[in-house]
Amino acid sequence: MEDTVSYQRLPKVRIREMRDDFMKFELRETDASMANALRRVMIAEVPTVAIDLVEISVNSSVLNDEFIAHRLGLIPLTSDNAMEMRFSRDCDSCDGDGQCEYCSVEFHLSAKCESDQTLDVTSADLHSVDHRVVPVDVQKAFDSDGYDPNQRGILIVKLRRGQELKLRAIARKGIGKDHAKWSPAATVTFMYEPQIHINEELMETLTFEEKESLVDSSPTKVFSIDPDTQQVVVMDAEAYTYDEEVIKKAESMGKPGLVEIYAKEDSFIFTVESTGAIKAPQLVINAIKVLQQKLDAVRLQDDNNFNELDAHLGGS
Amino acid sequence: MNAPDRYERFVVPEGTKKVSYERDTKIVNAASFTVEREDHTIGNIVRMQLHRDPNVLFAGYKLPHPLQYKIVVRIHTTSHSSPTQAYNQAINDLDKELDYLKDAFEAEVSRVGQANQHQGF
Repeated sequence: MEDTVSYQRLPKVRIREMRDDFMKFELRETDASMANALRRVMIAEVPTVAIDLVEISVNSSVLNDEFIAHRLGLIPLTSDNAMEMRFSRDCDSCDGDGQCEYCSVEFHLSAKCESDQTLDVTSADLHSVDHRVVPVDVQKAFDSDGYDPNQRGILIVKLRRGQELKLRAIARKGIGKDHAKWSPAATVTFMYEPQIHINEELMETLTFEEKESLVDSSPTKVFSIDPDTQQVVVMDAEAYTYDEEVIKKAESMGKPGLVEIYAKEDSFIFTVESTGAIKAPQLVINAIKVLQQKLDAVRLQDDNNFNELDAHLGGS
Repeated sequence: MNAPDRYERFVVPEGTKKVSYERDTKIVNAASFTVEREDHTIGNIVRMQLHRDPNVLFAGYKLPHPLQYKIVVRIHTTSHSSPTQAYNQAINDLDKELDYLKDAFEAEVSRVGQANQHQGF
């Protein structure tokens, strides 16, 4: 058997921009199936922690209990250790009722409005028992040196005089496939890198006005005219949205083939925006790990005793 | 009311095998693999990887129904290989590709992280 052959690829990466909540990078020498698998995993299968169970003891606010529970669930929590946590359904040290440190984090909230001014109850009022799992904006305020009075957490509910909210919440590990509140990704997109060829010979037959109208025919600013040489040049190839407007324009001018645009099939530009639950670079790394775990899970198990039989039929 | 539980989309029920295998009764070296609780994420990368194998004559996958949380991967190979061999090879190659990608990405993150620090970010 040819066990030594391999059809493995060696993808290349180049990061263009990297911040905690945003990154842009190039992925080359692989195909769209891999790019799309990574995108899908980042959105729906990288685990995070989010509030999943809420016990409300007092709620005299204008919002009903389930409305508040839903709003609490959508608050992004710092989930740097989510990969190491257990899903409560797999946890053997508890029944997932929040009594166990391996699969859950408890939160408490208690607020009462005593003054005539409305009281904003925000994510900053949520008190966590685990300092590693806190609302993302609280973590941000803690990290930065100055306290910003305009940045006082994510609003949960407003209370008027005499109204009160008191609750206990359990945050659990989950994935975006279960509920979107567990998705660490705000947006993940990739595009094929465009390759734009200008037929310079044909372009020279155009008048300046024709060149201008060609440049203006693109809805995004892909081309421009060099002020010195009056030549049409590619200004920003990645602004191209594959709308083919310039190609149609060239045809309507009776100059087909003036501009040719191809999508490079093995080259992708990714943009990743994170909710803050997981930092963008870590989100990509976690996605790769999760995809590997998924592949490991779909390996044929040894108790499929067809291998021998197959070898005979295969004649190798 | 009668909506299925959300976790049914990704938790393999007890007593069910993640991957089962059925050989084609009429064609030699053809088989269908049923993968429980997986979707286009796995189906498409496995299919495209199988297409890179010259011994694979046909490789395709389908999601039979959006509420049946499984995919079916069908593979037909030449006599030099077998569907199980091609399937295992595809998964091993993808795993190695991701290993390589993870190392390349981590190296790039630390390189850019250092560059950002120098710029005072």
